Amino acid sequence: MKPSSVLALVAACLPAIAWSQHENHGTPPASAAEVRRPPAPREWTRQPLLLPGKNPRGERAQTLLRVQGIAPAVLSVHAPAGPAERRKVDYPVAPEGARIAPAAPQVGNYHWVVAREESAEAVKVASTAWYFSNPGDSPKELLRSVKHELEIVPAPLPREHGSYRESEKWRFLVRFEGQPLAGQPLTLETEFGSRSTFLTDRDGIATVLFPRDFKPATDQAGGDGHGPRRARFVLATEKEAAGRRYLTAFNHAYGQDADRDRSLGWGAAFGLVGMLAATPLLRRRAARPQGDNGNA
Amino acid sequence: MLKTFFPTLSRFRLAVQLVMLFVSVYGSVFVGTYMADKISNNLPALSCAYDQMNGGYCVLIPTQHIIHHRIGEALVRAQQLTFGMVLPLLMSFVAFFAFFFVLGKAFCGWVCPLGTLQELIGKLGRRFGIGLRRAEAGDLGDVRRVRPVKWLLLLALVFVLPLLTGLGVTPHSLGNPYCDICPSRVATTLLTGSTEQLALRVNDGIGFGLGAVANLLIGFTLVGALAIRQPFCRICPLLAFNAVFQRLSPMRLAKKMHDNCGKCGICSEACPMDIPEIAREEGRKAYHEDCTLCGRCAEYCPQDDVIQLKWGPFALFSSRRDYYKAKVKGELPDGTVKPVKFVRNPADA
Repeated sequence: MKPSSVLALVAACLPAIAWSQHENHGTPPASAAEVRRPPAPREWTRQPLLLPGKNPRGERAQTLLRVQGIAPAVLSVHAPAGPAERRKVDYPVAPEGARIAPAAPQVGNYHWVVAREESAEAVKVASTAWYFSNPGDSPKELLRSVKHELEIVPAPLPREHGSYRESEKWRFLVRFEGQPLAGQPLTLETEFGSRSTFLTDRDGIATVLFPRDFKPATDQAGGDGHGPRRARFVLATEKEAAGRRYLTAFNHAYGQDADRDRSLGWGAAFGLVGMLAATPLLRRRAARPQGDNGNA
Repeated sequence: MLKTFFPTLSRFRLAVQLVMLFVSVYGSVFVGTYMADKISNNLPALSCAYDQMNGGYCVLIPTQHIIHHRIGEALVRAQQLTFGMVLPLLMSFVAFFAFFFVLGKAFCGWVCPLGTLQELIGKLGRRFGIGLRRAEAGDLGDVRRVRPVKWLLLLALVFVLPLLTGLGVTPHSLGNPYCDICPSRVATTLLTGSTEQLALRVNDGIGFGLGAVANLLIGFTLVGALAIRQPFCRICPLLAFNAVFQRLSPMRLAKKMHDNCGKCGICSEACPMDIPEIAREEGRKAYHEDCTLCGRCAEYCPQDDVIQLKWGPFALFSSRRDYYKAKVKGELPDGTVKPVKFVRNPADA
């Protein structure tokens, strides 16, 4: 049997090509990796957080999110697309958290999750972007729409196979009731204890530098079984308006700098060896007899 | 108008290749950051997922991921018939056939960024007078000895190892082994200014080994392409993948037998994949599994309408004697052009 026939058979039996499905199963940009991590021994921030709960079966279609530093009645999950009645779904928060799911199949990977605690004097919001394996629309419209008063909006979110990482700069838009806030302080805290503050520019954009602060791997932080190590961070900002204090936090995960476990020297060395291996080909071959085209 | 800018098929193909190289390496500038905005969702996968600036996706990475994450895990959980498997399967085939219906194997000869890079390097080699080496008896050896490699790579690295990894038999580091040895991953990310993919993972023995193979391959390809046309294409599993379905696409190479076929061998000389069958055979046998539909054989066939690039019943390009005569004045079938000389020969003064 010809090799092409064998491969045709294999390809017919297996779900072969699916570039459009890539987002359905590829590396999520961070949050899923957190699921396998043991809980941190102590709180590393006082900001309100939305954290992944245990997901022992490794389910991709839903996840358990728990809250920390905030006491919401529900988690609101905003979808990037789908039927109007499913664009925002509220999930009651139980003691262990809330199990959330995509609004509908094929509406998009990223969903925006909001926990809100409100009183006459203050509004506290914890927010995050959760990546489901659910291909569909990009999160552009999801991020553009106003979900609550004071917002920290990633601009952009990491795409598939990407993530926030140490030593990288990422942009975040801070807006209040849909309008960009200029000169607004945005505070970054990381699981490894770094803390820094950035100011938004006149367009409301803060360029956040993720610190190179990963500690050596321990049971408490970092390792997630496979792939680059990840840790948590939170961005927070506050504003007073009309006699109310607004506090909003956005938390997600960031990974260690790829340079930490990679060697450019080794990489270049093997590349050079490959080049050297090809150099004999550059020697001019002996001339062929006239009229011999090698196809006789 | 079109003929003014693109007087030959080769010139037109080069323009398409350069545009597609830009789109596949830097295309996010136009099509958006997020994967859902990529043209891959509407058209075929184009470029490397490790390149954060690209405009599309190489088809081989989702294939490995589907087999690893979807099929392997689904089999483990005995959920073969759930939506988690059936839906991606259907979507895969719909997208796959839509792609191949339009382009067929022309992806390799017109779109693939690594193919374009190799061709550009080969043009440099010809321009600087580096002698062309061919996969044929009397030079590098019979091309048929290399042909099985691409099938083995496709079977082992794109299908079997990702499936075994999904089943938990092999370690996670072997989840997408083809991408890990793919030289295009290294090349396209280097083009964006990132050395991350060139650097090897030092805390993972399997990752280190696979990455080392990728770097050996890209090093060999970059230098080897100066002397051999399309060195990596000959073992590329995507070529094999395309070959599996090449008969299903209306886009194809058509050849009729002529009295001179098998005698002049110019078409085979022009073929960047050194396919001797194009000179000797006709019909289906002439449209070989290694063909990338670049059209050079049709350009250099001196007989009218013997070799054609066709889409369905429509001939997109046909060999013509007058075209051939004009073409060989600028470039010989093996790609040889007037070499660049840095020092003037005193005899020419």
